[in-house]
Amino acid sequence: MTRDDPIKHLFLWPAFLVVLAIAIFPLIFSLANSFMSLRLVPPMPARFVGLDNYTDLLSNPRFWQTVKTTSIIAFTSVALQFVIGFGIALALAKRVKGVEFFRVSFLMPMLVAPVAVALVARQIFNPTMGPLNQMATFFGFPNLPYLTDAHWALGSLIAVEIWQWTPFVILLLLAGLQGLPDDVYEAAELENASGWQQFWGITFPMMLPISAAVIFIRIVESFKIIDTVFVMTGGGPGVATETLTLFAYQEGFKKFNLGYTSALSFLFLAVVLILSLVYLALLKPYLEKYK
Amino acid sequence: MSVRDLHGPRRWVAFALCCAWFAFTIFPLYWVAITSLKTPPDVVGGPTYLPFVDFEPTLKAWRELLSGIRGEFYSNFWSSAIVAVSSSVFATLLGAMAAYALVRFSFRVKLLSGVLFFAVAMGGFLAGRYWLGLPPATASILAFCAALALSVIANRFPLPGKVMNNDDIVFWFVSQRLFPPIVVAFALFLLYSEMGKMGFKLTDTYLGLTLAYIAFSLPIVVWLMRDFIAALPLEVEEAAMVDNVPQWRIFFGIVLPMTRPGLIATFVITLAFTWNEFLFALFLTNSEWQTLPVLIAGQNSQRGDEWWAISAAALVAIIPMVIVAGLLGRLMRSGLLSGAVK
Repeated sequence: MTRDDPIKHLFLWPAFLVVLAIAIFPLIFSLANSFMSLRLVPPMPARFVGLDNYTDLLSNPRFWQTVKTTSIIAFTSVALQFVIGFGIALALAKRVKGVEFFRVSFLMPMLVAPVAVALVARQIFNPTMGPLNQMATFFGFPNLPYLTDAHWALGSLIAVEIWQWTPFVILLLLAGLQGLPDDVYEAAELENASGWQQFWGITFPMMLPISAAVIFIRIVESFKIIDTVFVMTGGGPGVATETLTLFAYQEGFKKFNLGYTSALSFLFLAVVLILSLVYLALLKPYLEKYK
Repeated sequence: MSVRDLHGPRRWVAFALCCAWFAFTIFPLYWVAITSLKTPPDVVGGPTYLPFVDFEPTLKAWRELLSGIRGEFYSNFWSSAIVAVSSSVFATLLGAMAAYALVRFSFRVKLLSGVLFFAVAMGGFLAGRYWLGLPPATASILAFCAALALSVIANRFPLPGKVMNNDDIVFWFVSQRLFPPIVVAFALFLLYSEMGKMGFKLTDTYLGLTLAYIAFSLPIVVWLMRDFIAALPLEVEEAAMVDNVPQWRIFFGIVLPMTRPGLIATFVITLAFTWNEFLFALFLTNSEWQTLPVLIAGQNSQRGDEWWAISAAALVAIIPMVIVAGLLGRLMRSGLLSGAVK
C-alpha cells in the first residue's frame, strides 16, 4: 500500500539532499575539472583542454599497470574468498561442532580497521623478525622476501584481503543457506542422492543469485583498495603493487595535478562500470536458467 | 534433526576446516596482542610466541601510549569516536526516515529532470567559472542551487521520457556504493578548500568529515532499513491514522520503536564502517580532527620497527570493533540479519 501525504517529502529530502550535495555534486564538479588543465603546485591558470587528460592517461603505461595490478588483486582475492567462504558457510550451516563460537569469531576480521590489519601484516611478513619466515625455516622451506619482491608483495596483499573479507562472504552466504527450504533435501535424500550430487544439483544452483550478488559487491569493493596497500607496501617495490586509488592519491595529493587526477578517477569509474556490465551480461543466462 | 546435518567422518572434516580457518583468523590478532606486551629486545631478537614462556610480558608500551609520551593520541581517539558515533547516528536516522518514505509513500521522479540537474549543475559551474569569472566555490554553490531548483520545478511538468518510481530511487541511493570513493574524496577536498577560502572552514573540521561520512553511509542504511521497515505490520500505523495521529508522530512514536532491532543492526554496521574509514579522513583532515586510522597509518614511517608501540596503537583501533563483533554476533544469533541480506 502507498498513501499520499505532502509530509513524505520531509522524510525523504534530508537524506536525498545530503547525498546529492556531498556525493553527487562533487562527482559533477570532478567531471568538469577533468576537462581542464589545472595545477595547484606550481599554480597554473585553468585552461580547457577537452579530452587531453584522458588521452594522456590512456597512453600512460603506469595507468595500465595499475589497472592490471588492481584487477589481479581484486579477481584473485575474491575468487579465493568465495571458495573458502562457501566451504565455511556450508560447514556452519550444517551445524558443525562449536558453531556458535565459530560464527562470532569468524566475523572479527571484517570489523578490524584495514590500516591496523596492514600494520600487523607488516610485522608478520617481516623477513627477519616476523614469525612467517621463522616457521618456514623450521619446516625447511626457504625464507622469502614477502614485501620487497614484486610477486610476493602482490601475493601478500591478496592474502591480507582474503583474511579480512572472507568473513563478509561467510556472513551473506550463511544467511542464504539458512533460507533454503528443507523439503528439497528431504526429497533428494529419498532418491539417495549423494552429498556431492546434492551440492551441485540443489545447493549451488539455488545459491547462485546470492553468490552472484556477493561476488559483485566484493569485486566492486576490492577495486577501491587503498588502505592496505598504502601501509603494507606503499605501492612498492617500485610501482609493482600500486592500485588505481593509490595512483590517484599520488597524482592528486602529492603532485596536485587536479585535472589529471579527476580524469583518472573517471577512467577508474569507467573501468568499474564496464566490469560490472560485463559481469552482469555474462551472468544473466545462468540467473534466468535457475530462477 | 534436519537432513542437512552432517554425519560420520564428514562432520569431522567440516570441524577441522573450521578450526584451521579459526587459527588463520585469530593468529594476526593474537600476534598484535602479544607484541604490544613485548620489550624492544624481545621484538628485535626474532619472533617469540608465548608470554611468560619465551618472553616476559610488560605493560611498558601501553603505559607510554596512554601517558601520551610518544605524541598525541587521545585527541585522535576522541575525534574518531565522536565523528564515527555521531555520523552513524545521523546516517541511521536520516536513512530510516528516507527508507520509511520510500516504503510507505510513492514518489515519481522524471528521468529528464535528473538529466536536467546534471546538465545545469555542470554547465552552470563551467559557465560561472569561465565566463563570469566567479571563484570556484561561488560558482559551484550557485550551479548546485540553480540545478536543484530547476529540476524540482521541471519535475512538476509533464515531461516526456521514463518516470522513475521508488525502486529506482532506492537503486539510485545504492548505486553510490559503486563509485570509487577517491572520485568524490578528491573533489570534496577541492570543494572544501574552496569553501575555506570563502571563510567557511570545512577541511579538518567536525562538520566536514561528519557530512562526508553521513553521505557515504546513507546508501547502505537506506538499503538495509528499507527491508526492516517493509517487514513491519501495517495495522498499527493504520489504527493510528484512523485516530488522526500526525505522520511524524507515527514515525517517531510507532515505527522507530518497532524497528529497533533493525536500527541497532544498521547503526552497528555503519559504526564499523565510519570507525575504520581511511580515505576520506586522509583527504579531509590533517591535525585537529585527524582520526585514528590516519594516525595509525603514519606510525610505520614515523617509528620504523618500534613494533611494541605500533601494536598498542593498532589495538586501540581494533578493540572497540572486536566488542562490536560480539554484539553483531549476538544480533545474528537472534536471526536479525537473515532477512536483511536478500
